[in-house]
Amino acid sequence: MHESELIGLIKRRDEKGAALLLRHYAPLMRYIIAPILQNEQDREECVSEAAMRVWDKIEQFDPSRGSWNAWLTALTRNAALDKVRKNKCVVPSEDVPNEAPSSEPTPEELIVKKEREDAVREALGRLPVQDRALFYRKYYYLQSTAQIASELGMTERAVEGRLYRLKKRLRKTLGGEEHE
Amino acid sequence: MSERDWELMKDAELDLALKNSIPELPPDDIVMEVTPWRKAMNRSLAGLALTTITLNFLGLNYILPAVGVIMMLLGFRALRGENGWFKGCWIITSVRTVCIFASLILNATIYQETVYASRLSDVFIALNVAMVFLMLFLLWKGFRAVQIKAGLPAHAGGAAAMIVWYALVCLLAAAQYTGWIILIALIFAYVLIIRSLLKLSRELDEAGYAICPAAVRVSDRTLVIALLAAVAAGIVCGRLFFNSYPMQWQPVEISGDAGTAEIKAELSGLGFPGDILNDLTDEDIKACEGASRVFVETNFYSADEGRVVERVKDGVIYNETVYDDNLRITGVAVELDGGRWKIFHHFRWLNDPGACGTESLQLWPAYHLQRQEGWSAVGDVSGRLLCETDGRTLTAPYYSLGSETYDYDSVFWGTETVTDVFAAFSLPRGGESCRGYVTYDMVKLQDGWMINSWINYTHQRSWFLYPAVTADEYRKSGSWDLDGSFILIQDALQFFPDDEDAEMPE
Repeated sequence: MHESELIGLIKRRDEKGAALLLRHYAPLMRYIIAPILQNEQDREECVSEAAMRVWDKIEQFDPSRGSWNAWLTALTRNAALDKVRKNKCVVPSEDVPNEAPSSEPTPEELIVKKEREDAVREALGRLPVQDRALFYRKYYYLQSTAQIASELGMTERAVEGRLYRLKKRLRKTLGGEEHE
Repeated sequence: MSERDWELMKDAELDLALKNSIPELPPDDIVMEVTPWRKAMNRSLAGLALTTITLNFLGLNYILPAVGVIMMLLGFRALRGENGWFKGCWIITSVRTVCIFASLILNATIYQETVYASRLSDVFIALNVAMVFLMLFLLWKGFRAVQIKAGLPAHAGGAAAMIVWYALVCLLAAAQYTGWIILIALIFAYVLIIRSLLKLSRELDEAGYAICPAAVRVSDRTLVIALLAAVAAGIVCGRLFFNSYPMQWQPVEISGDAGTAEIKAELSGLGFPGDILNDLTDEDIKACEGASRVFVETNFYSADEGRVVERVKDGVIYNETVYDDNLRITGVAVELDGGRWKIFHHFRWLNDPGACGTESLQLWPAYHLQRQEGWSAVGDVSGRLLCETDGRTLTAPYYSLGSETYDYDSVFWGTETVTDVFAAFSLPRGGESCRGYVTYDMVKLQDGWMINSWINYTHQRSWFLYPAVTADEYRKSGSWDLDGSFILIQDALQFFPDDEDAEMPE
């Protein structure tokens, strides 16, 4: 099934589209949700929530900004993070402080966030795709070191080593050393 | 946020800042990259494609299966925890990796042809075919299991088609089919099947998110490096230790037999070269008792690749390749009573032969070339090797010496089955005055026939040949494409013994 057919069905509010979405994209959604939510019931609820968000926000999908899978990934991840906030749970990701961001940022915080995003985007743009993917796995997909290691065919120690070097490089880049 | 802030952050703060600073929409290339399935499956399928076909040029028949089996090993290693089918694929691929790498190491030794020609090789081929069939079946079942797990309809026609395709290839190979029409159709079908499998893999991307790759104790990179290092070390060991025949060199025993000394003196008086006489065994000298005539023919040859010398002619400087004689071959015919003759072919290296592995002598006796009309064989061919090492004279029997029947691919006459006498041997590294001879007896059947006895010396000039080929095998194959790795030197002893005025050639 081509994704454009699925998008067309959902846009036409055809319930067959919702069924097809779950049938074909539930594995992807579960893959995104699994590292963020530990509870099996939370995960299944989150899949349903993410599917509902797709149904509601389908008009916001803009292929010129990114692929269908990227949009679905972002939507599902947000649904999972919202679930974490809602449950007042912590994100059980290794090495990442378990602080859920405030749900109501101030205008100053928004400006700072935008600045950070731009700086990080620029710094990531300088990395090779393998390193960027590793970064996204750790900080965006919130995957554990063990999961990253098994999916990349590496040992956990090797993953930790690569992440350490990656962070060091990013700190340098973001700290402006490479601009001098 | 200033640049200095990033520098001053503690690790935990940096982690949080990075986590909160990632743009909400991930880039497409990252979304494509982050999947537990695609990399493993693409590796497995690419490996399958590389190991299924054989391209016999540029060493691709060795490189492609080695690369392919490594890719399959890494791919199925990641998938092995997903279901029993993929685990089976991984086990079979592991066994095939050992077999393929062992064969790569075996190819570096001079025993490879012997092993491949044995029944053991047939067993291995049959096992390999069975393993490929089983792996294709397990792959097909594995694809279906992943689809079922993800709640998708199970279909994996590409994998099933691959089983049928491979069965057809095996049938054609068993029937020794050599036509082009079916072959081209099979290649076309193969491309379609691989395309279909890649398409299936892409279709399974959505289901692939459901799989869980197995954890590894050794990283892919370390595994690949270890495998390549093992095979490289094996090949180097194969070349170093199994590149030449195991020769039984031992000191020459000084003969104190008075009878032998007397015969030697007689032969020497008839013109038998003294240095060659000293190389003969007591048995061969005694066999020449009562000799009436001796004919000798000596030739010098260059067996190296020559040296470039700068010359000046008419004020113009030019380079010339000069070939120095470094191999002397002598033919000796000794006439005995009753129309019997004893023929010797003796060779002597005048300097270091640069022994690289194996050497071969092919003998075309006079009775062989004249189709049993003028001469008839008496007894077997014999001979020995000698050399000087640390001031001692060593001798060894040939590694093998005798008649061999083989298929010779002649440029002019096509493939024909012939029988010749071959002597296979290796010379010691650093040995001086390396030399040897072969000898045979014959009896005259009719008058008027010339003695026309040939020896073809095949010398190996290149140390590294992959796969390893012995001088013996090279000569029997009639090959012309080993790029100077071997050199063939042909020498003949030719004269009319019935011509009373016959003189020894100089």
